[in-house]
Amino acid sequence: MSQTGNMDAIVIRNVVKHFRKSTIRREYTTFKSELVRWLTGKRDRGGTRFIEALRGIDLVIPRGKTVGIIGRNGSGKSTLLKLMTGIYSPTSGSIDINGRISALLDLGAGFHPDFSGRENILINGIILGMSRVEIRARMDDIIAFSELGDFIDEPVRTYSSGMYMRLAFSVATHVDPDILIIDEILAVGDEHFGKKSLGKMTEFKKAGKTIVLVTHDLSTIERWCDLAAWIDAGRIRRMGAPGEVVDEYRRAVALAEEQAQVMVPAALAADGGALPQVQAAPPATRPEVEISEVRLLGSSGAPVSTLGAQDPLEVAIHFTARMPVEEVGFSVVLHTKDGVRVYGTSTFREQVPLPTPLPPAGVVRLRLERVGLSPGHYTLDVSAHSAEGREYSAFRDRCRLSVEASGEGQALPPHRWTVEPAPEALVSSAPLAQAVTP
Amino acid sequence: MFRNLRELYQYRGLLLSLTQRELKARYRGSVLGFLWTFLNPTLQMVVYTLLFSVYMRQQIEAYAYFLFIGLLPWIWFASSVGGGASAISDRRDLLTKVRFPAQVLPASVVVTNLCNFLLSLPLLILFGLFFGWKPSWHVVALPLVIVTQLGVTLALAYLLSAINVTFRDLQQIINNLLTMWFFVTPIFYRATTIPEDFRLAMVLANPMAVMATSYQSIFYDHQLPAAGPLALWAGIAFVLLTVASIIFERRREEFAEVV
Repeated sequence: MSQTGNMDAIVIRNVVKHFRKSTIRREYTTFKSELVRWLTGKRDRGGTRFIEALRGIDLVIPRGKTVGIIGRNGSGKSTLLKLMTGIYSPTSGSIDINGRISALLDLGAGFHPDFSGRENILINGIILGMSRVEIRARMDDIIAFSELGDFIDEPVRTYSSGMYMRLAFSVATHVDPDILIIDEILAVGDEHFGKKSLGKMTEFKKAGKTIVLVTHDLSTIERWCDLAAWIDAGRIRRMGAPGEVVDEYRRAVALAEEQAQVMVPAALAADGGALPQVQAAPPATRPEVEISEVRLLGSSGAPVSTLGAQDPLEVAIHFTARMPVEEVGFSVVLHTKDGVRVYGTSTFREQVPLPTPLPPAGVVRLRLERVGLSPGHYTLDVSAHSAEGREYSAFRDRCRLSVEASGEGQALPPHRWTVEPAPEALVSSAPLAQAVTP
Repeated sequence: MFRNLRELYQYRGLLLSLTQRELKARYRGSVLGFLWTFLNPTLQMVVYTLLFSVYMRQQIEAYAYFLFIGLLPWIWFASSVGGGASAISDRRDLLTKVRFPAQVLPASVVVTNLCNFLLSLPLLILFGLFFGWKPSWHVVALPLVIVTQLGVTLALAYLLSAINVTFRDLQQIINNLLTMWFFVTPIFYRATTIPEDFRLAMVLANPMAVMATSYQSIFYDHQLPAAGPLALWAGIAFVLLTVASIIFERRREEFAEVV
């Protein structure tokens, strides 16, 4: 037991957390009853109703791993984080923490608006558990990381919200914990700072620190985490490889939407607001047409993940057809990492003749002569479906593409720039300048 | 209680920083800044002096000085208890977002006001000199009085801050009680003015009366303070602090959920 304890950063055993209902509804009771309850320390169990936020959590977070926690709103994610941090104590069960823990549940705890950035770093750092000496030693790093420049000596109330967040994030990540707990705050500041903070996280990861992350950004979980835990109705519904857990979670959410399940606050529902059970893609219901693999190929026919705006791209969709299917179509949707759809097409839409029935296995290729996208990260979703739109199989969020070019927005039409003088000012007949984007 | 105090010592860095922050924040942005620490009690004293030595004559020599002796510790006590009551309930930002030792919060209110009190002691001495009262060797007893008052104040701050989390009316009640408390405490009159029949009870039952008369003995009468009442309240302070610590400790886990 103690040996495993050393291996694991956080061991949570059968943790239950109840909240008194009156607490949540902010009903303050009368002076007398409250005082009696208070002084005796007794809880009137019969009279008060409880809200079951967590109904028995068993979770082991191995040392040095990045673990993502997902689940719908109200499923108990934040409560669990607060228990790990020690802000709440469990109603029953045990939580063992091995190592110094630092939580980024909220940025800028204890910031005082009238104090300068520098003074607030000191206070905030001490609140987060650093000593004065440690903070002084890291002060310059923290200020440099926040990129506040001369603003560091201005009162925090004059900061923009982005500056405030940057300062707070800088302090929080310089605490140097063994275990870092993050609640939904990776999206700090602008694009540039967002990258920087991700870089900081990567640094933590590389340094072998344990990270527990709660986020609704499922692609972050897939890209970033070693493990994913799905909390549903106050219990761990599944823990395992991020791809699989996220996939099942997505399907459960989709199913819930399909069944028009009323989304009551999870903790108030009798069953804890659990999402419907989904079949974990059992062989019995294997799709008639299955997409086994999608490859992105460059001009040379080799797989690519990064390419220029003018490069061609081939999407090779490998499929297997389990039975002769008469009407099947393939569709490809390209979207940005924020989920904005850039382009979508399908064989039905373009009336591409496909062999009927489909061969038992084969490749469908979609060739783009030039990518024509502005720089950024994109994801391709590929699916196979019937003429009525019933989906046989899909390949989502797994094909990623980075485009490197100059420009912004989403599209990059072929273009060139010219400058011509007005006709009356024509001295020389040649254009003054001409530039063509490569 | 000892665990509580040990933890306080353990978090002394935090306590110190919060206190520093409070001291700095209080007058941040005002033109006179830190001078307000001295100006506030002085102005209060001027009003009471006008009231009690000009309008309603009190037969006390150097009345302004006498009044000031009682007023300073009272301000320490009243602002600590008044501020202490909401020390936990006002800091939801800290308690629910970081792992935070809650007992530091009421303590920092008390210590902040203690600092203000200590800083205004030189002003008190200066005042005395102005009226021809030189400080005597009796000031050696001063730390004892201060520690006793600190104990009582801290205990009350713990108790009230913990109760106020669930019973918010308390901070309003306390502010009204403090006004009444001020008038039954011999600050702007001598304890001997209280009718003989219940003088002893009124003084002994009121810790601040014991404190005020002790300070007056030291600074005004050049005597050692009466040992009996002071020892009594030092003992009560000890018991009170123990009880308050136990109650605070028992409730502490709930603070994050309830505030």
